[in-house]
Amino acid sequence: MAKNKRDGTFYINPYLGGVLLGLVLFGTYYITGRGLGASGAVKSSVVSAVHTIAPVHAEGNKYYSKFLSDDASPMSNWLVFEVIGVIVGGFLSGTLYGRLKFIVEHSPKITGRTRLIAALAGGILFGVGSQFARGCTSGAALSGMAVLSASGIITMMAIFGSAYLFSWIFKKLWI
Amino acid sequence: MNKRYLLLAGIIIALGVGILFMPAKDTAKQPKPELLLAAIDDPSRFLSTDDITDRLVKKNPALILIDVRPESQFKAFSIPGAINIPSDSLLSASALEILNQKEMDKVFYSNADVTSDQAWIICKRLGLQRIYVMQGGVNRWFSTIVKAEKPAETATTKALELYQFRIAACQHFFGSPEMAAKTETVAAKKTVNVVKKSSGGKSGGGC
Amino acid sequence: MVGPLIPMGVIPETWNNVIALLLGVGFGFSLEASGFSSSRKIMGTFFGYDFVVLRVFFTAAITAMTGIFYFDYMGWMDASMLYINPYYVMSAIIGGIIMGFGFALGGFCPGTSFTGVAIGKIDAMFFSGGLFIGVFIFSELYPLFQGLYNSHNLGGAKIYELLGMRDTVFAFLLIVVAVGMFYGAAFVEKKVTKVEY
Repeated sequence: MAKNKRDGTFYINPYLGGVLLGLVLFGTYYITGRGLGASGAVKSSVVSAVHTIAPVHAEGNKYYSKFLSDDASPMSNWLVFEVIGVIVGGFLSGTLYGRLKFIVEHSPKITGRTRLIAALAGGILFGVGSQFARGCTSGAALSGMAVLSASGIITMMAIFGSAYLFSWIFKKLWI
Repeated sequence: MNKRYLLLAGIIIALGVGILFMPAKDTAKQPKPELLLAAIDDPSRFLSTDDITDRLVKKNPALILIDVRPESQFKAFSIPGAINIPSDSLLSASALEILNQKEMDKVFYSNADVTSDQAWIICKRLGLQRIYVMQGGVNRWFSTIVKAEKPAETATTKALELYQFRIAACQHFFGSPEMAAKTETVAAKKTVNVVKKSSGGKSGGGC
Repeated sequence: MVGPLIPMGVIPETWNNVIALLLGVGFGFSLEASGFSSSRKIMGTFFGYDFVVLRVFFTAAITAMTGIFYFDYMGWMDASMLYINPYYVMSAIIGGIIMGFGFALGGFCPGTSFTGVAIGKIDAMFFSGGLFIGVFIFSELYPLFQGLYNSHNLGGAKIYELLGMRDTVFAFLLIVVAVGMFYGAAFVEKKVTKVEY
């Protein structure tokens, strides 16, 4: 079994994973009073990067300036540290189950190049969408569902509903 | 494996049933500040004095007209048919019993709009339904109904009809014109400050 | 100790970043160990060959929700102090649809793509790069979206308030629906041909 676990094909039982994730989410609420997030860290980094490169531009833009004033608040840094933790945690799990490898994972029907272009496009769309919805799948949908917020549940249904439709259009990318 | 999943499903559903029996929190009823703000922005809570008068004359059974001014002012002059709930006793048990009648339209009025609107906000926060404010309060009611201004003869039929309605309503409330004049002087004397404060108040001929 | 601990002042703010890092490690570990670092495993939910996303996502949501309900009931935590994302009706729906489109193309969401980056998935790195570009594009074009972004604000509205339901009833229904979906997922998985990935 131990050997089997290290070949990269072993995943923990999804319900166990769900309970673990749920406990982490609960712990986050219990300790910090707010949920988990991921896209917020991207936003913080983009805002501070733009602010460093072109401070005048960032202060003139209504969106950046919204977050620049809050920059001193610990919560904007909070998500950056959390995401660093996510990468560390992912790396630990990858090491434990033997999944550390530089690869491009793609369907046999498409080339790696197509996959990378699609991934980049998907990332851009997700970046735009997460700003509209004020959070991504983790920040808005998952954390929102745990506290039964309207935005969380509506965003979750919008994400999975449209992803379901679009995934059949782009079926070739996957199976 | 299947049995284990059944057990897990049983546990989570049992926990869910436990949640079902948790007592309600009274804070949950209050609307969020943002929802309240949106409601305050919405002018549909304002009813005109003519509207209220019409319903009073027709003895509309679904109307409760509530005077939120202090009792002394209510006794000095009030709109016929109104009941008095001074704004400081808005949360008393007897007042809440009246306000909680779901099938009734509760309309607040005060001298102007301020006190009645405050009462409205408090009731909105309590989650009450069908609550309104009579726009302009006693002052406007007085200047539009009791001291209805006779429109010029060239005015539209609509304006003339409205004037006729106001005269008729005034007679309905105060009886004959002489009596109305008497009531009016009494009322006017006791509500001097009321008339002065009137923002849109126009002075004109009496009934 | 009555939670939430940091807003209540039980834990000093200086610990904030350390706690963030630790919770992040837990988050990243549970995502990666469940298989969220693989985009093709994630996409299985939409084609019916692997419902890992559905299982993990809903199990996590109902676990955390149940925990919050019971802690609040026992008086160990004040649920009314928890942060609720404001609900801007149009913005949330449009954002969700755009994200769904991105999901179907990219196969990740931000959190999962970071775990993919951690184990060396090059596609995850491209996806993460795309996120930064996307946020940058949105910020630069913000004046165009401003009206939509700020319209129909319902504040930190709860779903049961909008449905006119009691919170406990909604929570119970959510649990029942989730368990029903787990059952349905197992049923569909049996019917759909396996995809090797």
